[in-house]
Amino acid sequence: MHRACVLAAALACAAPPTLAQSTTETELSRRLDQLASELAKVKAELATLQQQRFAAPPVATAPAAATTAASTTAAASTTAAQGPGLAAEPTTVLTSYGEINYNRSTRDSKNTVADVRRFVLGYQHRFDEKTKVVTELEVEHAVSSSSDPGEVEVEQAFIERQLTRQWSARAGLFLIPAGLLNENHEPTAYYGVERNFVETAIIPSTWREGGIQFVGNFENGLTAQFGLTTGFDLNKWDATSTEGRESPLGAIHQELALAKAGDLSAFGALNWRGVPGLLLGGSLFTGGATHGQSSEKSRITLWDLHARYTPGRWDFAGVYSRGTISNTAAFNTPLVGSATLIPKSFDGWYGQAAYKVWSNEDYSLSPFVRWEQFNTARSFADLGAGLTPAGARTERVITLGANFNIGSGIVLKADLQRFRENGYANRFDLGLGWSF
Amino acid sequence: MRIALVGSIAAASALAPAAAFAVDYLSAEEAARLMFPDAERFELHEIVLDAAQLQALDARGVRGRSARWQSLAARRGDATLGHVIVDQVTGKFELIGYAVGIALDGTLKPVEILSYRESHGGEIRLPAWRRQFAGKSSTSTLRVGDDIANISGATLSCTHVTDGVRRIVAVFDLVKKSGGLR
Repeated sequence: MHRACVLAAALACAAPPTLAQSTTETELSRRLDQLASELAKVKAELATLQQQRFAAPPVATAPAAATTAASTTAAASTTAAQGPGLAAEPTTVLTSYGEINYNRSTRDSKNTVADVRRFVLGYQHRFDEKTKVVTELEVEHAVSSSSDPGEVEVEQAFIERQLTRQWSARAGLFLIPAGLLNENHEPTAYYGVERNFVETAIIPSTWREGGIQFVGNFENGLTAQFGLTTGFDLNKWDATSTEGRESPLGAIHQELALAKAGDLSAFGALNWRGVPGLLLGGSLFTGGATHGQSSEKSRITLWDLHARYTPGRWDFAGVYSRGTISNTAAFNTPLVGSATLIPKSFDGWYGQAAYKVWSNEDYSLSPFVRWEQFNTARSFADLGAGLTPAGARTERVITLGANFNIGSGIVLKADLQRFRENGYANRFDLGLGWSF
Repeated sequence: MRIALVGSIAAASALAPAAAFAVDYLSAEEAARLMFPDAERFELHEIVLDAAQLQALDARGVRGRSARWQSLAARRGDATLGHVIVDQVTGKFELIGYAVGIALDGTLKPVEILSYRESHGGEIRLPAWRRQFAGKSSTSTLRVGDDIANISGATLSCTHVTDGVRRIVAVFDLVKKSGGLR
């Protein structure tokens, strides 16, 4: 009886663990089945995904022999999922360029100057995949105050929206597509310490207007740009200043600073790059320039043709630009006797050749020569005998120098400039520039 | 160095640009098919360079940037036709996605631009510019201003994509010579 009781008790005690273990195994078995089912499901999903990604031709299934290796690298490959260089896209990018120049007159050393010509900070911020804002804030001549020569300028501030694969739109303050330099004006992008005269005296770089612009890029190499903007203000012409003689349009540009906007201007530019190394293009800008501020009306038109060819180590460039101001007789008549009357036409051209004589991974040296002819007052409207000023003499400038690039973001420059008309302007220039 | 076939979703996604772009012109797969139209399938490869190989790259004047690369191997039957590598470089301000195709003999296919979002310089997408790479190899200079013509107004984009291609060609040349490409 006792033994029977003990056995019964033992069985009673033994039964629960046995039953519990059985339950656990069942549970484990159930979970294994569930996992196997889920794994099969994941495999099926993966196969579907891969088929979708490589629909034709399909991605081969990894051979069994490689599976082990794959599993050993899986964790690492997950961390490398961005791939080499496939960095996350920053939404905001800080940009900058600047140039510090030294100009030594070869005939009159008292005119020698050193200057932080430009210091520019900008940012681009992307609001979404298709929309961004682009800005540049520039300080010229280092210090801007009532007793200093500097200026602070908003050089660009526009929104760009990608409309289709080919077309985008810009609105705000943007650079006008004219010549070779205006839209690519960073010191690393041009030869010589100073910007060329044609694209400063005739095309008033850095030339920007406020308005709307459409940009189209096409597979045949054509880039088309056109839009409606603010324009020049002829009412600003100061006949007592020589500024208009240095750059007629530079003297009356508005830069969207409380710009008179009664008259709008239209512009268009076509550039073709269908052959590697070759750029052929032209631009036209035209618009009213009086804005209802005077009884007379005037239209200002500026156009250019430009070409650049960069075969191998050579870099050839040329620009011709011509501007006209209509109805200047009416504006000049009351100004007769003043230092600077409004020209009827102004123009200029240059040809430039550069050759990269030496380069390695970090440095490159490119000597260049540039010949320029420009006339900021080619002709004046007829004011009557004895009153009509004669056109200015055409200045001719030869520039001989070299750019020494450190990487793609820093440039050291040196050049000599000889002026055929105004020999007192002859100078030796040194420059340091950067851009990123 | 080791090469492994990686069949993970993570690896598959690595061959697409990291972010959606303002203008995506091609996917990695479309680019691969353009470069190797005879391929029956593409297999994902991961290539990991060891320290000695990175040093060898440096000795060639190529900054390796990464020890880990991935490619799509174009296969036809048992034969490998070549590899396609997707990469990104900074243009002037923003990233450019591009694909480089290298045939098994080491010659390049025309570069394909997958995505471009700069305000200026999108002309590097032009076929005439991209075709300049076709037929070149690790023995080519592969430098803008030498054997690759520049595009006026897109100098930085041209230079940086060309530099990227030169790096990829050097990496694959190194791996091939070590017997690592299949």
